[in-house]
Amino acid sequence: MTQRSIKGVGAYLPQLRLDRRAAAKALRWSGLGGGKPGRRAVAGWDEDSLTLGVEAARLAVAPGAEIGTVVMATTSSPFYERSQAGILVDALHLPSRIRTLDVGGSRRSGTSALLAALLDGAGADTLIAAGERRPTRPGNALQLAWGDGGAAVHVGTGEGARLLGWASLAHDLVDVYASRDNPTPYQSEERFIRDTAVAEILVPTIRAALADAGVAAAEIATAIVPEAVDGIYKAVAAATGLKAPNAAELVAAKGGDLGAAHPLFGLCLALGTAAVGDKLLLAGFGGGCDALVLEVTGPVYGAAAAQQAVSHGAVLEDYIRFLSLTGSLDLDWGPRSELEQKTSASVLERYGRDMAGFIGGRDAAGNTQFPKSRIPVAPGVEQTAPMEDVRLADEVGRIVSITADRLNFSPDPPFHFGLVQFAQGARLLMEFTDIGASPAVGDSVVMRFRVKSIDRRRGFRTYFWKAAPLARARLED
Amino acid sequence: MASGIRDKVAIVGMGCTTFGEHWDKGPEDLMVEAFQEAVADAGIERGQIQAAWLGSALDDVNVGNSALPLAFALRLPTIPVTRVENMCATGTEALRAAVYAVAAGACDVALALGVEKLKDTGYGGLPLRTKGLANDLWMPYGSAPGSFAQLAGAYAQRHGVAATDLKRAMAHVSWKSHQNGALNAKAHLRKAISMETILGAPLIADPLGLFDCCGVSDGAACAIVTTPDIARGLGKRDLVTVKAIQLSASNGWESQYREWDGAYVRNTREAAGRAYAEAGIADPRAALSLTEVHDCFSITELVTMEDLGLSDDGRALFDVLDGKYDRGGAVPCQVDGGLKCFGHPVGATGLRMAYEVYSQLLGRAGERQGTQVDFGLTHNLGGAPFNSVAAVSILGRLN
Repeated sequence: MTQRSIKGVGAYLPQLRLDRRAAAKALRWSGLGGGKPGRRAVAGWDEDSLTLGVEAARLAVAPGAEIGTVVMATTSSPFYERSQAGILVDALHLPSRIRTLDVGGSRRSGTSALLAALLDGAGADTLIAAGERRPTRPGNALQLAWGDGGAAVHVGTGEGARLLGWASLAHDLVDVYASRDNPTPYQSEERFIRDTAVAEILVPTIRAALADAGVAAAEIATAIVPEAVDGIYKAVAAATGLKAPNAAELVAAKGGDLGAAHPLFGLCLALGTAAVGDKLLLAGFGGGCDALVLEVTGPVYGAAAAQQAVSHGAVLEDYIRFLSLTGSLDLDWGPRSELEQKTSASVLERYGRDMAGFIGGRDAAGNTQFPKSRIPVAPGVEQTAPMEDVRLADEVGRIVSITADRLNFSPDPPFHFGLVQFAQGARLLMEFTDIGASPAVGDSVVMRFRVKSIDRRRGFRTYFWKAAPLARARLED
Repeated sequence: MASGIRDKVAIVGMGCTTFGEHWDKGPEDLMVEAFQEAVADAGIERGQIQAAWLGSALDDVNVGNSALPLAFALRLPTIPVTRVENMCATGTEALRAAVYAVAAGACDVALALGVEKLKDTGYGGLPLRTKGLANDLWMPYGSAPGSFAQLAGAYAQRHGVAATDLKRAMAHVSWKSHQNGALNAKAHLRKAISMETILGAPLIADPLGLFDCCGVSDGAACAIVTTPDIARGLGKRDLVTVKAIQLSASNGWESQYREWDGAYVRNTREAAGRAYAEAGIADPRAALSLTEVHDCFSITELVTMEDLGLSDDGRALFDVLDGKYDRGGAVPCQVDGGLKCFGHPVGATGLRMAYEVYSQLLGRAGERQGTQVDFGLTHNLGGAPFNSVAAVSILGRLN
């Protein structure tokens, strides 16, 4: 049987990072919010678990790789009844005849999917994307402890990081839960969580995985063990003999606990610094545990860039804006926000795949445009003409015109929009996102998969691509 | 080769309400008010009108769909009545339809009426509605100031202009209109504003500040047109005729093809070129006595002066600052106060502009009256610079 390996990884955080000290300062009067240091990643209004997963997936797949199965893992899907994996396929412009799987319900859904893909020796290449944007309530310490982000893993054949051994354990520990009736987290007593998670779940599963791999705890170069509460890894290491640093702690400090994406994000960071021959311990926790022992056998696509996800961004110190972005503060945006955003299902059926994939058209003369049209927009063309697909999502664009619009409603004003020109000829009016310093005419922009509109009246959302500055500023440590 | 409409149609009556916050009036009140003034001016009976066109741009606000609101409000006999809509060119579009009908000989006397009740939307700016269409899946819907503000950055980039200089020229555009609007009893805003106030106003859409933007108003305007012969039969001696009405609409070139630099409006150039040809005007800088252009935002007026060929490319900034378009300048612009001081009840605006030119040609403009008025130009720019419909009309006297 051909050895399956981790071939590529991608780690993605939204641009904004809340400095937890800013939140602590705002909440000091109340004594709420917890006292964790560091930062948590904060999704923009137009980001959700899917968009975060898509951005991570784009980083994980090398050009030319053929993906046969796509898995989307999240506990915070905006839809209960609409496949995120299916939209992910369109966003990545993968063939429609592809196996898709949506997994959730547990923070370890991402690692569970990874384990399944590594054990699926006969399968085609699998792409696992995990994304989380979990709703929380202000005052709850988890609002500051958790973060928003995405991570992705590409599993295929050949060198990379291979599975040496594994173990799984099913255990219904109610350390924290969210439900339809209570969509924000309710957490059990911390000492109970720590004691039970360590003794009953993590330690026995990790020991079993190490034994299955024939690897001693001290041989592990880097561990990735998510901590439901602080101090879990310290206790696990003491009990198992692990000496390795825990990459999951770095993720928690820089971006927050990313739920289903957390262990995969930590894996990205660990592979970014690993050398061939290094052995890694990856644990997924939630409703039990999956523990994987991996060995690095060669380069992993995307691993070297993973560190950028935590080292680039913009600090958010405005606690009120944070509350608004997280949906914790229901501001009255006035009558201009009352616009209808209804989406026609039949319109989406006709055009949705081109929208999610950012697919324009190229006519016989080589002119590209977006969207496609029966009669090309190129001057002088008078007849209908067939167009071949042209994907614009991975192109760099140039700003032709732009403004910061303060009259138009935006959940995070001002609303930036303008014309973007692509080198191959296409141009279109685009919304901008992740704006830092004021962009100018002529600046280069990259494309980001984002929420286009939210129909709050009917609980529906659509996705499209937005233009973002080419690079993010480097965060100070 | 089409012969055009020059001098084939005369405007024999016009009416215009005050523009403003008409909390106490519905659209039917405004329509009747504008109509009554026009009918009295024309000296005709209502029964002589054989066809009518209603211009209203925003079907969701007050007036409603179809032409029935006009037929109901004016209690028109069962003549053909049609509603037209072409964004901010709607008022001119209504006039174009009426003029074409008379020029074609399809009817002897036609009515064009434009109306909009924007204040009933309950907020500033134009309403924004999406309707579940394909464009909603990808196209950002910025506000009107956001759409037009984009001219500024592209203009500055193309001509190497400092943002501060451009901002100063834009402020002069608004300052000038407020100077003129203060003299107009029908204007919504009748207060002169200082340059300092304009430059210091809060931003609406970079680089447009509050005073770079026109207001939101309610209003109606009306024109009655007929043939010159019939006009003379009505006892009219000093006839104002339509020299040209031209329209140009985007086909996607600006926003979907690679050539446009965003610093000018192609449709204005197209419509103006055709209108000058139709009117027989070879040199608009020498021929035009005044202009009423679509100053929805100060940058729009500045760029429009180049698009109309009244300033060389890249020179409008300096011409504006030199006072070329002030009331006493070489080509006065917005003598009535413009959209800046009238506001922009979309369906009425084009006809409101024609009302000022008509009044100037007949020497009825009071304190604003120009000394030698032979040709007046009106210009509307609907949509956005990257996706526009432009209308240019030229009115003059029958030689």
